[in-house]
Amino acid sequence: MPGADKETDLSERIESFLSELKRCGSGAGSLRGSAETARETTALLRRITAQARWSNAGDLMEIIRKEGRRMTAAQPSETTVGNMVRRVLKIIREEYARSRGSTEEADQQESLHKLLTSGGSSEDNFRQHFAHLKANIIEAINELLTELEGTTDNISMQALEHIHSNEVIMTIGRSRTVEAFLKDAARKRKFHVMVAECAPFCQGHEMATSLSKEDIETTVIPDAAIFAVMSRVNKVIIGTQTVLANGGLRAVNGTHTLALAAKHHSTPLIVCAPMFKLSPQIDVSEILSKVNAHCPLFDYVPPELITLFISNIGGNAPSYIYRLMSELYHPEDHEL
Amino acid sequence: MHQELIREDPDVASAVAAIRSLLKFLKRDQSETILGLRENMTKAIHRLEETDSSVAVSSGGELFLRFISLTSLEHPDLSQCKNVMIERGELFLKKISLSRGKVGKLCHTFIKDGAKILTHSSSRVVLKVLENAAADNKRFTVYVTESQPDSAGKLMAQKLCNLNIPVTVVLDAAVGYIMEKVDLVIVGAEGVVESGGVINKIGTYQMAVCSKAHNKPFYVVAESFKFVRLYPLNQQDVPDRFKYKADILKTVKDLNQEHPMIDYTPPSLITLLFTDLGVLTPSAVSDELIKLYL
Repeated sequence: MPGADKETDLSERIESFLSELKRCGSGAGSLRGSAETARETTALLRRITAQARWSNAGDLMEIIRKEGRRMTAAQPSETTVGNMVRRVLKIIREEYARSRGSTEEADQQESLHKLLTSGGSSEDNFRQHFAHLKANIIEAINELLTELEGTTDNISMQALEHIHSNEVIMTIGRSRTVEAFLKDAARKRKFHVMVAECAPFCQGHEMATSLSKEDIETTVIPDAAIFAVMSRVNKVIIGTQTVLANGGLRAVNGTHTLALAAKHHSTPLIVCAPMFKLSPQIDVSEILSKVNAHCPLFDYVPPELITLFISNIGGNAPSYIYRLMSELYHPEDHEL
Repeated sequence: MHQELIREDPDVASAVAAIRSLLKFLKRDQSETILGLRENMTKAIHRLEETDSSVAVSSGGELFLRFISLTSLEHPDLSQCKNVMIERGELFLKKISLSRGKVGKLCHTFIKDGAKILTHSSSRVVLKVLENAAADNKRFTVYVTESQPDSAGKLMAQKLCNLNIPVTVVLDAAVGYIMEKVDLVIVGAEGVVESGGVINKIGTYQMAVCSKAHNKPFYVVAESFKFVRLYPLNQQDVPDRFKYKADILKTVKDLNQEHPMIDYTPPSLITLLFTDLGVLTPSAVSDELIKLYL
């Protein structure tokens, strides 16, 4: 039966995605960048929307939430998976609201204003059936995919505003976003880059090799020398694994040291992170407890140490992150 | 009437009692025009503030007034307007009575097993948070400051004892001494101001400065109806009618000789605010206020 075939095909794909996630997260660095993970997650969610059996938005949200929970359980440190699931859930809610014809609420968060003016609870069960809902949702997910593909370019386009000639930039480890950012600036400006090697995986070496291929003067320094060199540095530009809801970071180990050294020397710390890395988590110790105690992979960097976030939608202060969060995700989806 | 309500249910927040009594007043009001209604309500709110000069009552009253203006804009006809107001008022009241529970649920996940918590004076919201955490089978100890001049801290310690939570009362002056032992600080708030700072029992500012010096997280728990339209830049900017009790304001000649009951804690010292609108950073508070008073 063709229906059954589709379903087994779908569940096969989900299983293979889950096993890849489990394999890739642990071990030497990240074998795939988070952008790829985000894209594959979104593509998989689109496939689920197209092929799974559902009759109304509520069912679809349940299915996606269930798969989302399984995916985040497979690799808890890879937060982009959960973020994409939440984005898709928000898309579903918006499309549903649009189909119902209700005026799209620009702000779905609770507010004092809503407490005062709403005349009775508007419990939305998402149970109504709409013929074009599937097509609309798939189209919206395609838009999301296009956005994901353009993120690195959008960030690199802003490079020339922030990097000036003869500056000394410091970075740590290897971030594909920062790499693209620096390479884009190098086309028009001449500057020096110091890369902290970021033990024990020493991804900084690969970063340095790749940058020097583009004729950027690069120096590799050991992590212990970060503070010593910081007085000569004009700016610190780093990538991150996740951006937390309070504007803090979960980044590769050594980043907190770098941030503290930068604060001490009053050097601006710029974080290049695309919006799909924004995660509704705030609880710091919960994140750290999931990390291997013998060699922590990630650091928590508090928002006070960060000067600017450069993302595909522009530059923002850390205190503004909560606002971007409310635009990307619905509060009920914070807990999958 | 307001005093009655407070005596009936000592657990209810003073702002909720204020709004309840205002709603009763609204029902009994005889005015013919909306303007007359507003005037009567404003007078009633002033009377309330005179009897119980706390920031929460003031913010609750202002919220109610705002609520009336918003409703009256939608329904120009008085009798229809009044019915809608009463209906929405009841709904509003129901929602905000639940807000303390919401805050409790949000905050208790931030309390880890084995945590040592410091709190200041007596706050019903903090009590609810600790109650929820204890119900979640978490083990933690609490230090409460005595909080002179009314020794409210001892009351809080008694309530915590009844919940079987190990609690120690410390002197107000011992905050610096005890700060190295604690893991986090949780306080309530009488009012949350536009900058994201809070107004709370005197001694809170001291605690915040100490926790910043020791790098301990300083959390504030407050319901959303406590948001007020004030923007103090320092301690002197906080209006006198909040700092001192109503009867003192009326009888005493020289306020410089009196001890203020509250102080202002600036947003730079606060890590996070837990409200029924969610977990907010101090910068998000002004956003919320703007949304309300647009």
